[in-house]
Amino acid sequence: MKPRLAHLLLQLYPRAWRERYGEEFEALLQAERGGMRNELGAVLNVAGAALKERFSPAPVVARGLGTVAGPTSVLALARMPSAFLPLAMSLTASAVLAGHLLLFGIAREADEGATAHIWQILMGGQIPILAVFAIKWLRREPKLAAKVLLLQVGAALISVTPVFLLNL
Amino acid sequence: MSSTRYVVNREDDPGIGHYSDPPLLVLASLAGGPKHGHAMIEDIRALCGTRLGPGTLYGAIARLEQQGWIEPLAPEERRRPYRITAEGAAFLRAKLTTLQQVSKAGLGRLEAQ
Repeated sequence: MKPRLAHLLLQLYPRAWRERYGEEFEALLQAERGGMRNELGAVLNVAGAALKERFSPAPVVARGLGTVAGPTSVLALARMPSAFLPLAMSLTASAVLAGHLLLFGIAREADEGATAHIWQILMGGQIPILAVFAIKWLRREPKLAAKVLLLQVGAALISVTPVFLLNL
Repeated sequence: MSSTRYVVNREDDPGIGHYSDPPLLVLASLAGGPKHGHAMIEDIRALCGTRLGPGTLYGAIARLEQQGWIEPLAPEERRRPYRITAEGAAFLRAKLTTLQQVSKAGLGRLEAQ
């Protein structure tokens, strides 16, 4: 397999996995020989395995230490896409709402405008991401994941509360 | 423990019946001595006709290492060999003994027909 394709395939894996197995795995991929059919088989195999590592990862053993390398703090876990995206979406929804209130006041509109639609998309869109985060991380890091979930719910409440209090 | 895999069929094989439990195959391969990834793939193919894909192989390696059933050795250039641990060998022995019992009983029943 061409080094560039091998390197590209490696990027499908989570960072912790790449740091632990990346070099040897890339060497193995480059050693793969055979025709187009074999190469396609290997690409599909790696893509499937990488997807599995992302959604149902094996705890990665740090080389030579025998310890499990994973997020060790709330901040580290909050940097995972499924953790920070809901937070960012809630904060953006709050900012959109605050901007609307500053510009137009708290008068309720008969028809839902663009602001309402953006707010709804941001708040509704984060629900599946929250679910993915909970499914993936509550099992692996229950305490850290619970704290991040609390942050996510708090950020969502900050955005939802004025809508209900002001009956917008 | 299952993973995505692809296999190479033998000419006399309709495509079913390959033994495809990647972690067990990796342990069985390493029971013959330390090996790196490519050597494991070739050894497993010679052992039972199953060709593990690279993703499947490393999925199994990661899980076996996490269980403490295999351990990495010093790298040879970019390739890293692995060896089976005493716990891994004990697990493999127990698993193969069970499989042997199933195999013996199944073959016995076929003979009796």
